[in-house]
Amino acid sequence: MAAIEVKYQEPEIDFTLIDKIIRDEYGGNKENLIMMMQAIQKQYRYLPYSALKYLSDFIGIPFTKIYEIATFYASFCLEPKGKHIVAICTGTACHLKGGGQMVEHLCQRMGIQPGKTTPDMKLTIETVNCLGACAVAPVVVIDEKYNPEADLSLLNDFIDRLKAE
Amino acid sequence: MKTLKIILNGKETTAKPDQTILEVATENGVFIPTLCHSTALEPAAMCRLCMVELTEGRRSKFVTSCNYPLRQDAEIKTDTEVIRHGRKMIIELLMARCPDSEELKKLAGEYSANITRFAPLNDDCVVCGLCARVCEKVGGKTLTLSGRGVHIKVNTAFGEASPYCIGCGACVQICPVNAIKIEDIESERVITIHGREAARIKLNHCDVCDKYYGPVIDLTKVMERLGEKTIPPPNLNLCPGCARQKLGKRIADRYYDVY
Amino acid sequence: MTESINTIPFSRMFKPKELEGYRKNLLSKNDPDSPKILICCGPGCQPSGSIEVAEEIKKAVIEAGWNGKVIPQVKMTGCHGLCSKGPLVTIEPEGIFYQKVKPKDVPEIVEKTLLNGELIKRLEYKNPATKQTHSHTKDIPFYGRQTRLVLKNIGHIDPFDINDAIMRGAYSGLAKALSEMMPGQIINEIKASGLRGRGGAGFSTGVKWESCASYPGTRYIICNADEGDPGAFMDRALLEGDPHSVLEGMALAALAIGSERGYLYVRLEYPLAVKTLTQGIRQAEELGLLGKNIMGTGFNFELSISRGAGAFVCGESSALMSSLEGKVGRPRPKYIRSVEKGFQDSPSNLNNVETYANIADIILNGGKWYKDFGTEESAGTKVFSLTGNIYNIGLVEVPMGVSLREMVYEIGGGIPKKREFKAVQTGGPSGGCIPKQFLDIPVAFGSLAKVGSIMGSGGMIVLDEDSCMVEIARYFTHFLVEESCGQCTPCREGLIRMLEILNRITKGEGQDGDIDTLEELGHFMTDFSLCGLGTSAGNPVLSTIKYFREEYEVHIQNKKCPAGVCKPLFNYSIDANECTGCGKCRLRCPVNAITGEKKKPHTMDRDLCIKCQECYKNCDFRAIMII
Repeated sequence: MAAIEVKYQEPEIDFTLIDKIIRDEYGGNKENLIMMMQAIQKQYRYLPYSALKYLSDFIGIPFTKIYEIATFYASFCLEPKGKHIVAICTGTACHLKGGGQMVEHLCQRMGIQPGKTTPDMKLTIETVNCLGACAVAPVVVIDEKYNPEADLSLLNDFIDRLKAE
Repeated sequence: MKTLKIILNGKETTAKPDQTILEVATENGVFIPTLCHSTALEPAAMCRLCMVELTEGRRSKFVTSCNYPLRQDAEIKTDTEVIRHGRKMIIELLMARCPDSEELKKLAGEYSANITRFAPLNDDCVVCGLCARVCEKVGGKTLTLSGRGVHIKVNTAFGEASPYCIGCGACVQICPVNAIKIEDIESERVITIHGREAARIKLNHCDVCDKYYGPVIDLTKVMERLGEKTIPPPNLNLCPGCARQKLGKRIADRYYDVY
Repeated sequence: MTESINTIPFSRMFKPKELEGYRKNLLSKNDPDSPKILICCGPGCQPSGSIEVAEEIKKAVIEAGWNGKVIPQVKMTGCHGLCSKGPLVTIEPEGIFYQKVKPKDVPEIVEKTLLNGELIKRLEYKNPATKQTHSHTKDIPFYGRQTRLVLKNIGHIDPFDINDAIMRGAYSGLAKALSEMMPGQIINEIKASGLRGRGGAGFSTGVKWESCASYPGTRYIICNADEGDPGAFMDRALLEGDPHSVLEGMALAALAIGSERGYLYVRLEYPLAVKTLTQGIRQAEELGLLGKNIMGTGFNFELSISRGAGAFVCGESSALMSSLEGKVGRPRPKYIRSVEKGFQDSPSNLNNVETYANIADIILNGGKWYKDFGTEESAGTKVFSLTGNIYNIGLVEVPMGVSLREMVYEIGGGIPKKREFKAVQTGGPSGGCIPKQFLDIPVAFGSLAKVGSIMGSGGMIVLDEDSCMVEIARYFTHFLVEESCGQCTPCREGLIRMLEILNRITKGEGQDGDIDTLEELGHFMTDFSLCGLGTSAGNPVLSTIKYFREEYEVHIQNKKCPAGVCKPLFNYSIDANECTGCGKCRLRCPVNAITGEKKKPHTMDRDLCIKCQECYKNCDFRAIMII
C-alpha cells in the first residue's frame, strides 16, 4: 500500500464533534450521509480527508462511495478554501448582463481558475449557477454579502482592499 | 405463467413477463451490441448501444434492451436506420475519446463509424462503469465513478492506491476495452488504471514451490459476504498447483496401497 | 426576516371545525383593514437592501408621534413581484406602492404618507410606455394584468407567522378534506381541475396521484424544491413568502394517496426557504395541522426537509430520490415509474412546489372553478419569473393562454434602452428560444412545445438585439456540460462535442458542416439519452439553429458576431455623427481606450479596447457601433 498523501495541511479535527454530528444530529443514519457531510463542511469550510475517513468507518459506507458523493455534488469541496470567498452568479440573467465577463476579469487579475484558491489562501473564486436574484443581475457575493447590479469596479475595489490586507 | 407475443425483427416469438428485450433477443439468436452489460450485474443502461425500437400498443419509442422489462405484447426492431445511425454516433464519439482502442475499432468497422470529426481525447476508458459496478458487487468496493459530467472517471477514493482492493481482478476481466492492467511483480500484485497505480496488494508465498501466488486477503470478510458462518481452517501457505498436488497425494495415500 | 412575535398563543386543534373558530378569533383581534406597512424581503429586494429599510421603518414608526391614530403594523413579507424596482414598500389598506426605497427615504414616508396621507412622487412607479407615474399597486399594468392564485398571500403575510397565513385561509382546504372528503374524492377533484405538473413535463397531477395510490406499500410524498433552472426563482419566492401553501398541498396529497411521510428537497442555494419551512412545519405541528393525529382525525403526516448539495440533475425525479436516500444523484436507468417504485423502492409521489401550492384552493373551490382559468389543455394559472433584457423584472402569475407579447410588452413593460426584442428563452437549459414571429402564441404547454421550446418550471428570459444566439446556445451547453451527470454516452460525449464546436464558432474558427454536425448530435441525444435532461440537452442548440441559422452562418462564414458579444468577431467604433462628447464612455472605460474633448466626438483606440461592453451599454446616444 502506498503511503497516503495528504496534499494540504489539515486542520486539527475534533472527532468528538464529528461524532456528535453523526450520532446526535443525524442519528447515525446512512440516509442522512449528504447532510452529515454538509455539517462537516460547515465546520471546516471543506471536507478534510481524515474526517471523511472517520465518517466512512463510523457509518459503514465504503470510503470510495463517500468520495464519489463528495466529487459529484458541486457544493462539496475537498480543498481548503481561502480567507475570502467571492461567488459570482452565472445564471442566465446574470450571464446576459455580464456575469461571465466578471468571472473572467477576476480570475485574470488574481491568476487563478474559477473554483480555485490563490496560493496565499487569501481568496477563493466560485461560480454559482443562479442564486435566484435575477432581478438585480449581475450578482456578486463577497463573503456572503450580496452585491446587486455589480460591475467591474466593484471587483477592482475588492482586489485593492485584498492587496492592502 | 402468461406468455407474451413478441415480434422480433419481423419474426414471431414469445417472452415471459418482465424478461428484458436483450434476453429475448439472445434466446432468439438476434445479436444486439453492448458495452456496459454483463449478465452478472444489474443493467446500468449507460452506453446506450443496445437501444432498439419498441412498439407497444400504438406507441413507438426507443428503449435500451438491456433493462427494458417486457410486460405486454410488443414489436421490437433491433436494426432500423435510426438505431444504426445512433450506434454509429455512439461509437464515433467513443472512438474520439479512445482512438487507440482495438475493441472499438472492430465495432467501428461494423457500423462504418471510422470517421473522425472530433478532436481525439486520447483516453483509454469508455466510462461504461462495469469495473466500478463489479468491484462494488464482488470486489473490495474500491472503484467508483467519481466526478460528474465531463469530469466523470473511474477512480479510487482521492485517486490514491487503494487499501481496500482485494486483488480479485474482476475489474480487469470485465473491462470491455481492456483498459485496466493487472500485473504480479515479485511479492506484489499491481492494478493500473489510467496509467496510475490503483492498488498494490501483497501476494501469498507458497511454502512448497517458493513462488508467489494469489493475493493476501481477509478471509473472514469474504466469508461474511458469502453469508457463511464458519470459517474454513486456515489453509497452508500453498499455491493452487502445489495444493492440488498435495490433495492428490493425500487421496492416493488413503485409497491406494503402495505396491 | 426575523421571527415575529405571536400575539395570540397557539392552541392545538382537535377537530377540523375548530380551525374556522381559531381563524375568526384571530381576525377579531387583527383587523385586516388596519394600517400596515409591508416591506418586501424577497429574492430581489433583499440583496438591494430591504432589510435595512425595514429596520429603519420599524424604528421610525416607534419614534413617530401618532396622536391617537392607529399605529401601523410593520411586516417583512415575501416577494411583492416587481423585483427590479426593489426595495419595495406597500402601505395598506390604501395599497400605496413605493419602489427603490432607501433607508434615507423612511422619515419622509412616515412623516408625509403615514401621518399626513401625502404621496411621494419620487418613489412612485413610472410607466415606461406612457411616462406616467402610478402611486397605487392596482394601477400598475404589471400587477393589473396578473391573476394571482398561487401568489395570493405572498407579500401580504409574514412567512414566519402561521397565524398570518391562517387568517388568509391557510389549512382550510385540509380541514375541509378531513371533515367531508374521501381520498378518492380529493383525487377526482384534482383530476377535474385539469392541473398539470408545474415542474416542466406537465403530467396530469390527478392521474399521477391516482396511479401512486394504486400501488401497495409505504407511500411517500416528495416535494421537488430543487429549482435548478438558471434564471428561475418562482419556487424560491413561494417557499420564502408563503411556505404553508406548499405544506398544506403536500398534506392533502398525503391524505389522498395514503401516505404518512413527506420530504421537501430544497435547493442548497435557498437557505432562507429552509428557515421559513422549518418554522412553518414547527408551528403547524404545534397547532395540530401537521404531524401526528392532524386536527384530531387520526391522520398522521410527518414532513422533513432535505437540503440538496448542488446538482442540477437532481431536479430529475429519480435522481432526486437517489439523492434523498443519501446517494449520488444520478437518474436511475429504470423503466419503472417512481409512483410504483421510487424513494426507497416504494411508491412515491413527486410534485413541484408550485403544483402543491395550487392544491388547497382546488379543494376549497372545486376542480371546475380551477379549470375555468387558463385554456382547455392547460388549466389554471402559471407563475413565471420574467427576467433578462426587460423593463419590469419580477415574479408574475398569469392565466395559461396569455400571449408572449402580453407577457413581454404589457406586463414586462417592453425592452429598455430602445433596444429591439429578439427572443424569449423558456424552460431553462432544457428549453428553447422563441423568436419574434411567434410573439402571439399563447403561453401553454402544447403551444410552447409546438415551437420547439417547453413550458419548463417557469423561467422566462427575454433577449434583446444585443444577445448573440450562438453565444446563448454556447452558454446553455456549457452549463449542461458542467451539470450532466455523465453516466450515459450520448449526453456526456455529445455535450462535450457540441461545446467544442460552439466554442470554435464563437472564436471565429467555425468550419463548414459545423451546423449539420450540431444538428446531428442534437437529434441523436434526443433519441438516445437516458433521462429527461439528456433527451432535452440538445434543445438550446437545436432551437437556436432552427430560428437563427443565419446568425450561425455569419459567425462561421463571415467571422462576424452581429450582436457584438463574441469578442474575437467584432470591434467597436464611435460614430462621430452621433457622439455628443458627453464623456460617459471615456470615464467608464477601464483601459482608457477612449479619448476626446468634452462636447466633441470621441475616438477609440482599438488596440487598447478589451471589448468589455461598458461603453456600448452605457452610451445614451447609441454612438458606439459594432463593426
